[in-house]
Amino acid sequence: MKVSLNWLKDYIDLKGIPSNDIVERLTMSGLEVEDVVDETAIYKDFIVAYVKEKKKHPNADKLSLCTVNTGTEDLQVICGAPNVEAGQKVVFAPIGTLIPKGNFKITKAKIRGVESYGMICAEDELDLSDDHSGIMVLDEKVSVGKSIADELSLNDTIMEIAITPNRPDALSHIGVARDLAAIYNKEFKLPWFKLQESSHKVKDFASVEIEDTENCPRYTAMVVRNVKVKESPEWLKNRLTKIGLRPINNVVDITNFVMYELGQPLHAFDLDRLAGHKIIVKSTEVESTFKTLDSKERKLPAGTLIICDGEKPVAIAGVMGGENSEISNSTKNILIESAFFNPASVRRTSKRLGLSTEASYRFERWVDPSGTLPAAERTAQLIAELGEGEILNGVIDVYPEKIIEKEVPLRFERIKRVLGYSIPNEKVISILKRLGLKVKFESEKEYRFSVPTYRSDIEREIDLIEEIARINGYDNIPTISKISISLGEKVDESSFVDQTREIACVLGFYEMLNNPLQGEDLTEITGNRIQVLNPQSIDMAYLRTSLIPGALTAVAKNINVGEKNLKLFEIGNVFNLNPDKEKIESFYDFTEVQKLVFILTGKENEKTWQQQEKLFDIYSLKGIVDSYLLRLSLDKAAADSYYHNEETIYDLYFTKSYKGKILGTGGRIKKELLKQFDIPQDVFCFEFDLNLLRSIKPEQRKYKEPLKYPKSTRDLAFVFEKSVTYEQVIKFIWQMSSELLKSVRIFDLFENPSLGKSKKSMAFSLEYYSEERTLTEEEIEKEFSKLISEVTKKFNATLRGT
Amino acid sequence: MLEEKISEINSGFNQDIVTIKDQKQLEELRIKYFSRNGLVSQLFNELKNASKEEKPVLGKSLNTLRNDLTARFDSLKVKLEISKEKEEDKIDLSLPGTRRIIGSRHLITQTLDEIKTIFKGLGFSVVGGPELESDYNNFGALNFPPNHPARDMQDTFFITEDFLLRTHTSPVQIRVMEKYKPPIRVIMPGLCYRNEAISSRSYCVFHQVEGLYVDTDVTFAELKGTLVSFAQQFYGEGLKYRFRPSFFPFTEPSAEMDITCFLCHGKGCRVCKHSGWLEILGCGMVDPNVFDNVNIDHEKYTGYAFGMGIERTALLKYGIDDIRIFFENDFRFLRQF
Repeated sequence: MKVSLNWLKDYIDLKGIPSNDIVERLTMSGLEVEDVVDETAIYKDFIVAYVKEKKKHPNADKLSLCTVNTGTEDLQVICGAPNVEAGQKVVFAPIGTLIPKGNFKITKAKIRGVESYGMICAEDELDLSDDHSGIMVLDEKVSVGKSIADELSLNDTIMEIAITPNRPDALSHIGVARDLAAIYNKEFKLPWFKLQESSHKVKDFASVEIEDTENCPRYTAMVVRNVKVKESPEWLKNRLTKIGLRPINNVVDITNFVMYELGQPLHAFDLDRLAGHKIIVKSTEVESTFKTLDSKERKLPAGTLIICDGEKPVAIAGVMGGENSEISNSTKNILIESAFFNPASVRRTSKRLGLSTEASYRFERWVDPSGTLPAAERTAQLIAELGEGEILNGVIDVYPEKIIEKEVPLRFERIKRVLGYSIPNEKVISILKRLGLKVKFESEKEYRFSVPTYRSDIEREIDLIEEIARINGYDNIPTISKISISLGEKVDESSFVDQTREIACVLGFYEMLNNPLQGEDLTEITGNRIQVLNPQSIDMAYLRTSLIPGALTAVAKNINVGEKNLKLFEIGNVFNLNPDKEKIESFYDFTEVQKLVFILTGKENEKTWQQQEKLFDIYSLKGIVDSYLLRLSLDKAAADSYYHNEETIYDLYFTKSYKGKILGTGGRIKKELLKQFDIPQDVFCFEFDLNLLRSIKPEQRKYKEPLKYPKSTRDLAFVFEKSVTYEQVIKFIWQMSSELLKSVRIFDLFENPSLGKSKKSMAFSLEYYSEERTLTEEEIEKEFSKLISEVTKKFNATLRGT
Repeated sequence: MLEEKISEINSGFNQDIVTIKDQKQLEELRIKYFSRNGLVSQLFNELKNASKEEKPVLGKSLNTLRNDLTARFDSLKVKLEISKEKEEDKIDLSLPGTRRIIGSRHLITQTLDEIKTIFKGLGFSVVGGPELESDYNNFGALNFPPNHPARDMQDTFFITEDFLLRTHTSPVQIRVMEKYKPPIRVIMPGLCYRNEAISSRSYCVFHQVEGLYVDTDVTFAELKGTLVSFAQQFYGEGLKYRFRPSFFPFTEPSAEMDITCFLCHGKGCRVCKHSGWLEILGCGMVDPNVFDNVNIDHEKYTGYAFGMGIERTALLKYGIDDIRIFFENDFRFLRQF
């Protein structure tokens, strides 16, 4: 909300306090000043000048060559505005002036060959409005040569204050002044005015009835007759433009002015357009339509609180008036509405209609129920004054159940318990009194305060403590330099994921983070997706069901910018609706699982002067997966299965499982999917379920003494039928060997016509040793020859090189 | 006679050997002493003429001489060979070595880890919670009344009327307080969602770290002390800070913590909106209504809570001007950190 410092000074004496101190103190007491516009600083260099002469620019049709008098000298100035004429008083920016719009400095310039010594300004250049249709032509009365800061009263300080939802009372100049009064411990005065009422009684001209008293606890109305609707006086227009409002006519401007002054939203009805001169407040029973004063037809759901006259709806309560009862230039008699509506009701209506106004914004936060009457009077008085009208005698004030001031107890000892320091009781009481609270009960240890009705946020002791803390200043709360640490058990639920990240990095992977909100095409391939009710766009309408689509998107994007060799991983949650569910009604209807994805594409190594280029392949992926599990000490626990058939993502894949549960799946992404992502190269990826993985307790590692006896190695190669797999051979070797065999490593694999048709050679390196003794040559030889004969027999293989 | 010759040869060899500089000279030395007609062989020939009594003694001396000279010759030979190798197989040390690629954690993770480490050092546990939350945990239990404007502070993605994507990590507070008894001292990092227009300043997902401490004697003063200690460890010693009153439904009194803008050192710049201050986190004392909702006695216990956005923190710390870069996974970005 924009607040004018000059306006505030109507209610509180701030003489001698620099504006930056006010800004600082407001911010430090909870009314955060987000931006400050110091007009005096901005406009000090602009002066009023007089256009003495206007000629055509010799080289440009649309430009004028003006002689401008600045009070001290005549200057030649080029002007492009269509409305510049000799005899005008204008805003002139001499050389060196900083123009607010675009933040540039005026310099001597040559425009189409002619020199120009300054600029005649339009409103937009001064940041006064968006108007760039022509230069600003000033009133005759202003003095040439004077700064516009004074002549146009551009000498205010405008503060943009962020008002938190708990402080609706501060959504007005009076509200801010009230806080300032408490902060600076100064007097603050409400606007003073004398109501001049006619002898006609208001009750003879209008009536108000509330049917729905729950949603409209109070409705105050006054009537002003024979009003002239016209342009507002300068002072009023000035007040409004300073805070960013556009003046319309005196009646509308006054209702706006009083709202920004007192915080009470007001509505002015054309009394003669109210059937039966009646106001009835009620909730609609059926859905209906209503045209608001912005000429829009709006659908009102049943249960909307509306204002009706004797026949029809005339306003949506607390949100916006209707076109049918709006003030026009011919309006004579005005009914002023100053009401208190139930905040929840206004919010509901505003949300349902998608219509938020300054009025609804205030009502849904809480306006002061005690403030409707003074606000109505203030409005009536101003309308009568500025519209030459006649205020009817008395008010119609329907307020069946008075909202009374709450009483809140305060234990002084509790202040220290919460804040950690003591504040003298007298100071505590003084602060609360300055905020408008009254002492209702007092004892040594405890007081009870009544809270004015405009402070809806103060209901409990803790609310009082907050007020005391903020007015006394958070800076005064000590910053202690010692904390106590409990010796109880500490947990770190993130340690497993941290370990995973560390391993992934060591394995050469870079971590990525993808948006879990994805489009239809990405989410449909991998699971039973969950939809967002109110997505921002169709590209983000679902929650990811797997990390793979996001990873593929990242790969595609990188390949597009020339990054073709990638090793990426991500840890994130994926969401799936349970297969038998349509809709989430409880936490049991869906799963949220933390997953890990590894993705590889392109070259594993570039060619170097020492090394051949190598592309990533399925074995790169298998190696990574195995290294990861080994580092987690889960290599023994996890088992492999291999598949050659195509499925939804892969055309070649394998799984890791433990006790029948699949820990993860991965393989080569199938061509069709690569095409969908526009990826022109092979991609390998593996996705682990981290919830499962972390649930497996790895074996406790135990120290093993380094081997004391020598190891013996034997190499050999067999020629097999091509259909024999590595896995078959290796399993058989382990199965038939004694415990002296400690490791088998395949070190060569090749196919060659010389081996025979559909044959292949696999070469193995075997390691034998015992932990208890040195093996004899004979022992090893016996093992080795047994292995040769068994393998050749089992697979119909031949030993090579013999 | 023979003995004299032995000592003569010995001293001659000593003089010769120090002059040997290359293979050719070495070969000449070998021929002079060890060839068939070399000086050493000649002496052995002369041994035949020696008397029976002298022979064993002289023989022994001769053998010692030969072994000694041979050993010295061999060691010189090895030395010369090594230096020959060095010259011939000179290694070009300027050739690049074989690099191993070590990946890296995402900058957001690195920032989060840094924060985590500091709070773990202050005795905090680390706990996580789900991203798809109930409206109750995300709002209701945290003292956001239904249909209240405070909800407008956090634009929400809804899944159903009662389920949503958490808008902050604060629902984990509720889960923790429902599960554990005080004293509770935890931080709760995680991903959050806000239905805000995507721009260089805001994105629809972001990370937060939430902190919570509940015990019988927790005060605002301790909250200040803890967070100042954190800020000094994270942003550097000697920074200026301030706590400014603010509003969060689940804490009261509430505050926002600002530190001096480290880009302009408080003079005012674009990043700090010319205020000289940067807001780094929100915090406050746990609202008694929140304690009531998790059945913790708000008379007996007090507590504080705080929360900070990681993306914003990383933007500031690393001088990044567009928040979207964190979720684009551009390898050229990922590799930088």
